[in-house]
Amino acid sequence: MEQYLFGCRLEQDILDLDQTMEHLQQALNFTAHVAYRRGIILFVSRNRQFTHLIESMARDCGEYAHCRYWQGGLLTNANVQYGKGVRLPDLIVFLSTLNNVFQQHVAVRDAAKMNIPTVGIVDSNCNPSLLTYPVPGNDDSGPAVELYCKLFRMTINRAKDKRRQMEILYGLKSQND
Amino acid sequence: MAGSRLEKFGTVFTRVRDLMRAGVVKDADKPIWYDVYAAFPPKKEPVYQKPIARFGKVVDKVPEILYKEDTVRAKFYEVYGNGPRAFDLTKANFVSTSQRFIEKHQELEKTGDLDEEKLFEETAKALLAEGIVLRRRGGATMALQSPGVSVSPEAESRDPVLEMRLKDMLQELQQEHREKQQTETTRDPATTQ
Repeated sequence: MEQYLFGCRLEQDILDLDQTMEHLQQALNFTAHVAYRRGIILFVSRNRQFTHLIESMARDCGEYAHCRYWQGGLLTNANVQYGKGVRLPDLIVFLSTLNNVFQQHVAVRDAAKMNIPTVGIVDSNCNPSLLTYPVPGNDDSGPAVELYCKLFRMTINRAKDKRRQMEILYGLKSQND
Repeated sequence: MAGSRLEKFGTVFTRVRDLMRAGVVKDADKPIWYDVYAAFPPKKEPVYQKPIARFGKVVDKVPEILYKEDTVRAKFYEVYGNGPRAFDLTKANFVSTSQRFIEKHQELEKTGDLDEEKLFEETAKALLAEGIVLRRRGGATMALQSPGVSVSPEAESRDPVLEMRLKDMLQELQQEHREKQQTETTRDPATTQ
């Protein structure tokens, strides 16, 4: 994470927000395109403080959230746990990549295993290497997570609205994709 | 469904691309995100990077953020402690006592050529004139000759806030005002009355 830090002031790591801005734009753009193409997006966070916020945000955009205990084989053993022919998420968004014991969330590694791209908010104590589109940012404070929720909800809703608009205009697009 | 679970080799994209090239994954089964990734690749390839095992003393490459006025700030906190007014973080444009001190210090530095200690004293006096009373840390070091207060050894260990009285503070203000006038006119060393 050293490359994403601006410096250290009184032992507080300060993130470089210019880099964060670019990464966030890329991540939101990717999310929008996946949502436009009718992809399934899963929001994951093990930060107990924001469980309700993230679940309601996911419900508002018509996508999915998993903010509770992550069972080991959820992605890797999905066919056994959920039945044959389960459709796995096409994008996993992490609002915090750490679990309750400050280790990297199992889902980061599992998503890479199942060839699922990931977008994640990485704080200064996280490892950004396995995430496809990492976004250096604060994942601990209320206003920060509310901002991310607002941005993702806005992005996904706009993408879906655009999709509906294009379907109405061109009619047959829904059948092809 | 075919897949490759080797998360430590290459990126998600390269694995799917190679699977498709080999013919294992048909074009019909192409993942939704594949074209999007191809069109908008991330800044850095998401290859797995093993965390480097650091032994012995760890060198911190993150630069410290320090400003020129930090020396003044450090001196302020050493001499006056936290300052009379607590930080009010509910206000967005809140200016703390130390910040006002810094601003006054910079102003005085620009106008006159005084050495550091004199500049420090001048800034304290200027803030006093504006109405901010700065109490020195570590007990009543100001010699209070007024009859109301007795400076005894026990008073040093007590909280100096307990010794604060409005009357004494006013008398201090008046004394300093008189001292200032005296030094300006007669150039004699300051005498307390």
